[in-house]
Amino acid sequence: MTVNAPLRSSLVSESLVFAGQQFTHWRRNPGVPTQALLFPTFLLITYYLLVGKSVLRITGTDSLYGLVPTCAIAGAFSGALAVGLTLPYERDFGLLSSLWVLPVNRASALAGRLIAEAIRTLVGTALITAVGIGLGLDFQGGPLAVLLYLLVPVMVVLVFAMAVIAIAVRAKRLTMLIWLGLPAITAVFASSGSPPVESLPSWMWPLLRFQPMQPIVESMRTLAEGGLPWWPLLWGALWTLAGAAVVGPLAVSGYRAAAESGGGLG
Amino acid sequence: MTAVAVLTERIVRDTLRDDLPFAILAPAGNFIIFNLALRNVIDTGGIGYPQYLLPVIIVQVTLLGALTTVDRAARDHQWELGVRLRTMPIPTLAPLIARMLYCLIRGAVALLATIAVGYAFGFRMFGGLGHLAAFTTLVLALTLALSLGADATGVGISGAAIGRTGGASQILLVPQMLLVMLSTGMAPVDSFPDWLRGFVQHQPVSQVTETLRGLAAGNVAVSSLTASLAWCIGLVVVFGLIAMRMQRRVR
Repeated sequence: MTVNAPLRSSLVSESLVFAGQQFTHWRRNPGVPTQALLFPTFLLITYYLLVGKSVLRITGTDSLYGLVPTCAIAGAFSGALAVGLTLPYERDFGLLSSLWVLPVNRASALAGRLIAEAIRTLVGTALITAVGIGLGLDFQGGPLAVLLYLLVPVMVVLVFAMAVIAIAVRAKRLTMLIWLGLPAITAVFASSGSPPVESLPSWMWPLLRFQPMQPIVESMRTLAEGGLPWWPLLWGALWTLAGAAVVGPLAVSGYRAAAESGGGLG
Repeated sequence: MTAVAVLTERIVRDTLRDDLPFAILAPAGNFIIFNLALRNVIDTGGIGYPQYLLPVIIVQVTLLGALTTVDRAARDHQWELGVRLRTMPIPTLAPLIARMLYCLIRGAVALLATIAVGYAFGFRMFGGLGHLAAFTTLVLALTLALSLGADATGVGISGAAIGRTGGASQILLVPQMLLVMLSTGMAPVDSFPDWLRGFVQHQPVSQVTETLRGLAAGNVAVSSLTASLAWCIGLVVVFGLIAMRMQRRVR
């Protein structure tokens, strides 16, 4: 116990330092804030202006409740992808290796990255939802619903960020990240309800209803509408845990290999 | 071989694996996704959605292609090779002309890809050869206009941090999205909220897509064609002059 206590506190404080390093990085390289905040916010506004009236005419419900969670998660994903784009350079220039030999807990570099992803997603979700409220979204849930609503994207983005890390630290060309990002963001939009699933070809319906993003977006939509979505939340959590079990070890082993490579260019 | 030919070949070889595939995949993917998502949602008033949608996909990939031009111009101008080229006994404008030739090649590839995918989904060119020629000319003129603007932007910011990191093209994605999605290229003007209709109706993407749609149908209003051509030629002249000026600037 006495040995563990200082170690654990050092892991937390060191991870926070690494998270701070990420934020400094994002402040200086506008690519990440652009992809994580600016782009999804404007996507929400333009897409809602484009389809809002037409979807309302067909379904009789306001598409905003599906689009706001969709853009929040899509923004979190595209932010994580933008972060991943720089990882191969950080590996090749030896930055990951320099951090690896620091006298700190080995887990803190990766943990710091994930903490930064989580905080960025929390801020992004709050911002996009605020814009959604400006467009006419009426958030009906109580404080507990707000908390769950903000934490759902955080939970999902942690798994997605681990997948990005697992791929990016091994990547020679960055096209692999596009093959991760494109299906993921498509799946998020397929869950938005705009267009309504019924307007798509019928062979796609089972595909759309049983993909992992469906319960996630459904949970956030129901929370915003003032309900408590037990089943979608449970399904979303199960998908997330399953995803984490697959990509978590891959991210850790890949990061370790990249950090121990010593770079090669710098 | 002239300097322009060599430099053009260099860009084509350089982009064979990353940029040119996207000139084919981006229009194909965007067409399929928007067609799938919106064809039963948007009321186009009688026209099939593939027929309605195709022009705006062409304009969109032209804009997206121009964004990659921003990054390429910034890189070419700033990196050692760009500095070296400016000391060589070749025309000052050779690198610019080579980049523009590449943009036109890319634009032609993207146009072919879009029309091929469109045909698979029911788009048809109903006009004669004259309409087809006008359609192609308008698209390539637009490509040249936007590429010149993109090149001038790229060279202009190449000294700044945002030019070195490629962040500019990502920020420019936002105006691109506003112009494409809030245009009559995606949906008729009635689909938009009342307060937005003035913008949607009169912005250049709406103008150009309407002309292209008319040319594809083989029935275009002369006023629409003149307005679109005037937009393109005006932009070519203005952006062309700026882009040429940017090349002359010596650091």
